[in-house]
Amino acid sequence: MSLMTFLLQNVLNALQWGSFYAIIALGYAMVYSILMLFNFAHGDIFMAGSYIGFGIATGLLYLVTSGIIAMPHWLILVLTIILSMFVTSFLGILVERIGYRPLRNAPRASAAITGLMIGIILETANLALLGAKRRGFPALITQKVYTIGGAFVTNRKILVVVVSIGLMLLLDQFVRKTKWGMAMRAMSYDFVVVPLMGVSIDIIAPLTFAIGSALAAAGGVLYGISYPVLNPYMGIIIGWKAFVAAILGGRGSIMGAALAGFLLGFIEIFVATVFPSTLRDLIAFSIVLVILTFRPYGFFGKPYSAKLRL
Amino acid sequence: MKERKNKRFSRIREMFSGIPALGWLVGALVAVIIEYYFGNSLADFLHMDRLPVLFGVVVILKRPLDIPGAFVYVMLIYAIPIAVVARLTSRLMNRIAGFFDRLPLWVSAIVHLILLYYVLSVWTDLSDYRLLILKLSLIAIMVTLSLNVINGYMGEFSCSHPGFMALGAYVSSIFSVGLFVNDRILGHALLGVVPAWVGQLVFPIGLLLGGAIAAIGALIVAIPSFRTRGDYLAIISLAFMFIVKSLFDNLGFLGGARGLGSQPDWATLPTIFIWAVLCIWTINNFVESTMGKALNAVRDEESAAESMTVNTRKTKMIAFMFGAFWAGIAGGLFAHVLRYVNPGTFGLRKLAEVLAMVYFGGLNSVIGSIVGAVGFNLLSEMLRPLEIIKWIIIPTLLILVMIFRPTGLIAFKHFDVREILKPKLKAKERM
Amino acid sequence: MKRGFLALTIVAAFLMVGWTMTTPTPAAARTIVIGLNIPLTGDIPKVGESSKNAAEMWLSDIKKAGGLKVGGKTYKVKLAIEDNESQASSAVSAATKLITEDEALAIVGPQASKQAVPAGEVCNNYKTPMISPWSTNPATTKDRPFVFRGCFLDSFQGPVIANFVTQEYHFTKAAVLYDVASDYPKGLAGYFKKAWEKLHGAGSVVAFESFTTGDTDFSSQLTRIIKSDAQFLFLPQYYNEVPLIVQQAHALGWKKPIVGSDSWGSPQTIKLCGKDCYGCFFVSHFVAKGAKGITKAFCDRYQAKYGEEPDDVAALTWDSLHIIQKAIENCGKLTGNLKKDRVLVRNAMAKIKDFQGITGKMTFTEEGDPIKCAVIVKINDKGEYVFYKSVCP
Repeated sequence: MSLMTFLLQNVLNALQWGSFYAIIALGYAMVYSILMLFNFAHGDIFMAGSYIGFGIATGLLYLVTSGIIAMPHWLILVLTIILSMFVTSFLGILVERIGYRPLRNAPRASAAITGLMIGIILETANLALLGAKRRGFPALITQKVYTIGGAFVTNRKILVVVVSIGLMLLLDQFVRKTKWGMAMRAMSYDFVVVPLMGVSIDIIAPLTFAIGSALAAAGGVLYGISYPVLNPYMGIIIGWKAFVAAILGGRGSIMGAALAGFLLGFIEIFVATVFPSTLRDLIAFSIVLVILTFRPYGFFGKPYSAKLRL
Repeated sequence: MKERKNKRFSRIREMFSGIPALGWLVGALVAVIIEYYFGNSLADFLHMDRLPVLFGVVVILKRPLDIPGAFVYVMLIYAIPIAVVARLTSRLMNRIAGFFDRLPLWVSAIVHLILLYYVLSVWTDLSDYRLLILKLSLIAIMVTLSLNVINGYMGEFSCSHPGFMALGAYVSSIFSVGLFVNDRILGHALLGVVPAWVGQLVFPIGLLLGGAIAAIGALIVAIPSFRTRGDYLAIISLAFMFIVKSLFDNLGFLGGARGLGSQPDWATLPTIFIWAVLCIWTINNFVESTMGKALNAVRDEESAAESMTVNTRKTKMIAFMFGAFWAGIAGGLFAHVLRYVNPGTFGLRKLAEVLAMVYFGGLNSVIGSIVGAVGFNLLSEMLRPLEIIKWIIIPTLLILVMIFRPTGLIAFKHFDVREILKPKLKAKERM
Repeated sequence: MKRGFLALTIVAAFLMVGWTMTTPTPAAARTIVIGLNIPLTGDIPKVGESSKNAAEMWLSDIKKAGGLKVGGKTYKVKLAIEDNESQASSAVSAATKLITEDEALAIVGPQASKQAVPAGEVCNNYKTPMISPWSTNPATTKDRPFVFRGCFLDSFQGPVIANFVTQEYHFTKAAVLYDVASDYPKGLAGYFKKAWEKLHGAGSVVAFESFTTGDTDFSSQLTRIIKSDAQFLFLPQYYNEVPLIVQQAHALGWKKPIVGSDSWGSPQTIKLCGKDCYGCFFVSHFVAKGAKGITKAFCDRYQAKYGEEPDDVAALTWDSLHIIQKAIENCGKLTGNLKKDRVLVRNAMAKIKDFQGITGKMTFTEEGDPIKCAVIVKINDKGEYVFYKSVCP
């Protein structure tokens, strides 16, 4: 394998891995930018989204194989993504209603704790309801391996990158072009005054959670397709790392979070490529530490005074 | 109806309002002594397999038929003796407390602490399970309190505490295992195996070393925090935690992921008790000092604090190092209680646990941290029989606490030792 | 005054009810409690579930037989199950609780080494026999007369795999991918490397790559492995990662053989992995498919009861419980004094020779580690685990 191919292969790998960080980080960043809260339940919403997608896909496949309805596999995939996004967005609204709305005037850290606890409840409820068995996500598309300049790439990999980038662009358009998006941006600018202007925080906050959760669900389904082993704790580590990416991107910059997600993916993959892979977390997070030491407000964030509202 | 209830409640309250801390302690002492001598026969009489260890909760959850028995047991052994003794001796105890009140504070504090230690040691003498829970709770108090300095008093959202604990745990383990134990990972004992009493003498050195290294590690978090505000610090501290865990995973000579075992059995109850008291005492003094007020000023408005001549950099650095130091000590004790330490222990789960204890108990409050740590640990052990459901009930409880008391159960409260220990007047007489 | 009277009556009533309702238990001394210290929540809940299943099956057998007969007396048996949450500290409190509160005569578990090492210390201090069915860390039993284990050690398994691959394929260059933060894969990877380099000289392990628990993307490690000219990949991982790694390796163009360790043994591996794992070899404690005799009986019953094939944890837990049962029966007579009985059981356990379990014949060494055979299993074209050959020490 030549050096170029080797590099290309790693870039392709990093793109796929970064996509997941990016799409999960978007959810964190939405809630963080607009409501100034950490939604620590987000990693577990991602897990729930993946399980919901698993349920929908299995159900649809069952209907197809038993001959009740006929549809091609790509349609099942599309339906799975859309339906699980839809269902999971309600989960997001529920989380906001239970864990965040009652705490709107409380210290921000308290809301972070409720998020953390809701996350634990989601994990445990899943474990109690579905049992400890790992679930295999149904293979909705048969894997095909292509070679580009000696590097291997699968149709799943392409799907993951294309769909997640597509969703990101869609979100970007939504936030920048629509009235709702404008309301959100206004809220992120000042959530004390803006509600006085007739933009209700009781609508914007659930909407933010719903969109973030829908994105997490899409990420969850894509994740299930690429890494088809689901378990109740799958959202924890990826969630915390995406959280790092979201903050690294900078407050007030949703796309910054996505870019930081890709960056984290690239850092992790390339550190593991260049150094002994044992040292990956050590070096990757040291890099994060150094970045934040020199750019204390993230990549795209502006300096602001965000002490906890105690 | 409600008024009557309130009236009754206030009467009960008044009945017990004139009892000083000393009285309660003596009551508790009587209760544990009664349990020590009669607990088993009473449990036998009530047809319970054995005496309930944690106030009957575990028994109730396992065998609902034992509910009345457990209730009677708790009433007869704890509630009634404590109430009766405390009430009857209140006059005498008030007089004694009044006498102590005129002496220097430390005399009175030491007398109370000796009593408290005696109560605890009699209580735990009946069951080693209780002893273990007590040890872990005392360590949890230290961790919670030290995190409260950073998260509560200084108002940062620091996630690095498991990392500090890991540093303390490993350094003190290297000290004790490397120098005094023949071990397959760290090799021959460099100073030879020593008898237990020598171990008790050198153990503080190991713990202090662990605390010191943790404090130095804290600089890695504290220095970027000069420029970074609020949320970015959360990321820095989180990154620090990941780095420490990954570091110990990679240090082959410490056993890597396999962990480091066979620590000597030095973390006995008196040792942990003394360290916990020291921790509470120094942290309370720290937060009540000018420096502690500076912490609050930094939390409320950093630039204002700066302009009021608070050296914010120094304040932050000291707070971080101080918190990390005690977390390191707690980590060292933790490693010696379990007599095993591995990097996996100090991960995201530990973080969630520590954060939960701080915010459950109450921000900016020493007493809140004590309540939070002990409450969380007891709850976690009491609900053990529920298995999986336990991890639905505990988070739900925490969410409820957060919703109804967003800053925690007992937040923003001064911990004034003199106030607690002084003789109490009846509510009526106070008027 | 009236109210005081009322309160007193309530207390008295409770006292009466409490006294009459709870049934007297004079037979308490005649009950044997076996403790189970297993991870029902946390990282590896499936391990806990399997152990619990096997234990409940064992208990129902005992109940059917009317109890455990020791020296002419019949004892009732009770299981005390504690969740150790996959955490070292919780495993220590669970072990302490089992010993001091539940008065367990013997304890099975913890399963994973990171809990078994500290819990073993507790059991040894309290002189309570403990057997960890699944822990492969040498430190678990080292210098602890009261602690045993039910599985073979990594130091045995590593050379078995190295020898097998050398004989089967005549390869000389190996690649390893393992989880650095989990002690079982890490230990086994080390032993394999040592054994392989002993056979083929230093530097013959051309890629020694690692990741961290919870990772799901292995592309960078696999890319490095593919870049090295390794002839096969050794994968000492659990079913969490095996399907992902194998599938990703194939997606990245890897076509050479992949060999696994005993941790592949769960039926979940093949269920999650699918066609990608066909044709692979791995080492195991036992084979469910095509098993004979008691092993088959166990597998069939387990399948019927829980609707899935038993995994290695279930089988090893089953064997461990039977070892304890046999040790108790071999005691001849229980004194009724728990402390003495525990020592009796421990001594009986150490003396067990050629115990015929479903995972093979076992005899304990001085350290409390069993000497037992390993089985090489092939995954056939139908996705079934079939017996390939047996390797004995």
